[in-house]
Amino acid sequence: MLGVVILALMPRWTSDYHVSVLLDVLMWVALTESWIILSGYTGYISLGHAAFFGLGSYFMALTWPKLPFLLGILLAGTLSSLFALIIGLMVFRVRGPYFVILTLGLTEFILHVVINLEIKLGGTVGRILMGAPDLVTLYHAMLAVAIAAVIVAYLVKNSRFGAGLFSLKEDEEAANALGVNTTLQKWVAYVISAFFPGVVGAIMALRHSYIDPYNAFDPMVSFQVIVMAFLGGMEEVEGAIGGAVLLTLVSEALWARYPYYYMIMIGVIMIVTVKFMPLGLVAPFKGRLLARLADGSRNGA
Amino acid sequence: MDWTRILQILFTGLIIGGIYALIAVGLNMIYGTMRLLNIAHGEIIMLGAYVTYWLYTLYGISPLVSVVAVMGIAALVGAVVCRWIFFPIISTTKSVSVLESNSLLIFYGLSIIFTNVASLLWTTDARGYSYLTNVVNIFGVPLMQNRLWALGVSFAVCVFFYVLLQKTMLGKAIRALIQDRDASLLVGVNPDGIYYFSFAISFALAGLAGCLLSMFYEITPFMGLPYTVTAFIVIVLGGLGNVLGSLVGGILLGLVETVGVSLTSPGWRPILSYSLFILIIVLRPRGIFGKGVY
Repeated sequence: MLGVVILALMPRWTSDYHVSVLLDVLMWVALTESWIILSGYTGYISLGHAAFFGLGSYFMALTWPKLPFLLGILLAGTLSSLFALIIGLMVFRVRGPYFVILTLGLTEFILHVVINLEIKLGGTVGRILMGAPDLVTLYHAMLAVAIAAVIVAYLVKNSRFGAGLFSLKEDEEAANALGVNTTLQKWVAYVISAFFPGVVGAIMALRHSYIDPYNAFDPMVSFQVIVMAFLGGMEEVEGAIGGAVLLTLVSEALWARYPYYYMIMIGVIMIVTVKFMPLGLVAPFKGRLLARLADGSRNGA
Repeated sequence: MDWTRILQILFTGLIIGGIYALIAVGLNMIYGTMRLLNIAHGEIIMLGAYVTYWLYTLYGISPLVSVVAVMGIAALVGAVVCRWIFFPIISTTKSVSVLESNSLLIFYGLSIIFTNVASLLWTTDARGYSYLTNVVNIFGVPLMQNRLWALGVSFAVCVFFYVLLQKTMLGKAIRALIQDRDASLLVGVNPDGIYYFSFAISFALAGLAGCLLSMFYEITPFMGLPYTVTAFIVIVLGGLGNVLGSLVGGILLGLVETVGVSLTSPGWRPILSYSLFILIIVLRPRGIFGKGVY
């Protein structure tokens, strides 16, 4: 709680540069938390987070400044959820590697549809957003989104619904046989999960005040989210925060100066981590954490 | 539409389709035998293209000669990746879903390493060279000689692969392993050898595709991902794990794209192939031949 207040007051004490770094951190926290709601809990690895991010960005680009800021970002999230509701009909007919490829393919499909539409309608592919809200407003919005994503991920995990999601990671047929409506479960999780990248995309469109299809639907977003979730143990709410914060800060420190070496290093670290710690960075601590919980010594916090 | 126009479209479709087949067969070999999805496949193509470009512009070595070296290097890289990264992981990971997500992360790691090494070595500017650009008339259709070579080489390799899989003991062992792992182990198939072979062949074919593509397309460090996605489309068309299905699927997709583009415009190419892909995956998830495996 105290942490949230400190984060909310941060802009009063620090420079714009630090606020924009924090904004990035919060963005990745929101994206990663929302991704684990479907993919972390059920094991259905989605490469489609970039699609929702891009849809949110485009919704904002098309409606700004006709709609007020708050309404705009909420509608962007709703649109994104609605889209998940529709494609959920299709993507959950398949599983395993087919699901992975289909979500990647759908993102690329939407990217090319948007490129073609933009060329047909406007002749060019980029859009500029004029008169965006100031950095501090965007920062506070992103903070709220990140907190909401953490809370939702936590609530889902600790609910009956969440237990259902976890059951289909273990054995989907068995879960079905025991009366869990697995298709419905995945579908609902997908709709919830899609809301956040939509909102985040809308905020980031205003943050950069320029979008084009390639950066709005950048598949790197989908991959980066998986890396962060993996570092945090794939299904851990706190771990996902850790993974997002760690990777964003490391990238902030190195990326601007040595972009290629930094990316190579990230690649090497990923391979080494997966090879030697296949359950993520938090896994070795997980046993201790569980023991502490069992002791009941973890108060409040 | 007159005959030369139709033939022209047919040839273009077969040229690009043959290359798609090469790319997809390799990707599907690794999926079929080990159930791993290599999202770094396109980056091997990219590296193959750059090495060919280097050998040609620096030493004047013909791409049709350097193809042997490119395939050799790629096969070696494939075997090393298999030995150092995937053998330990496969032997220690018990859960299928953990293996699936972890192998995805490793291949993603490889792909960003390859892309950024290429950016360091060759910058992000598009590169290209011209080789054998003289035009030959085939049945009245003007075609560049380098494209004819690409057509010839890719089809020869496809035929070779067909014979290898259908007629040899090694091919039978590979197909047995894909169809039923446990049963194939019982009859004495050595999976480790086949894993090595799959990785080496898969990377070599991707290198070969890069080599051929470099003769007539621009090379950039980021050219890989679209080819990876295209290869996914092809293996879904032909059925995941159905290696021969990929040969047919690749040529089919090449033809569909070329015909589609000639009826609409080049901007529509990705939309056409992704629509086909989504249709197939939803309506016939085991591929058009219905023989894919999960």
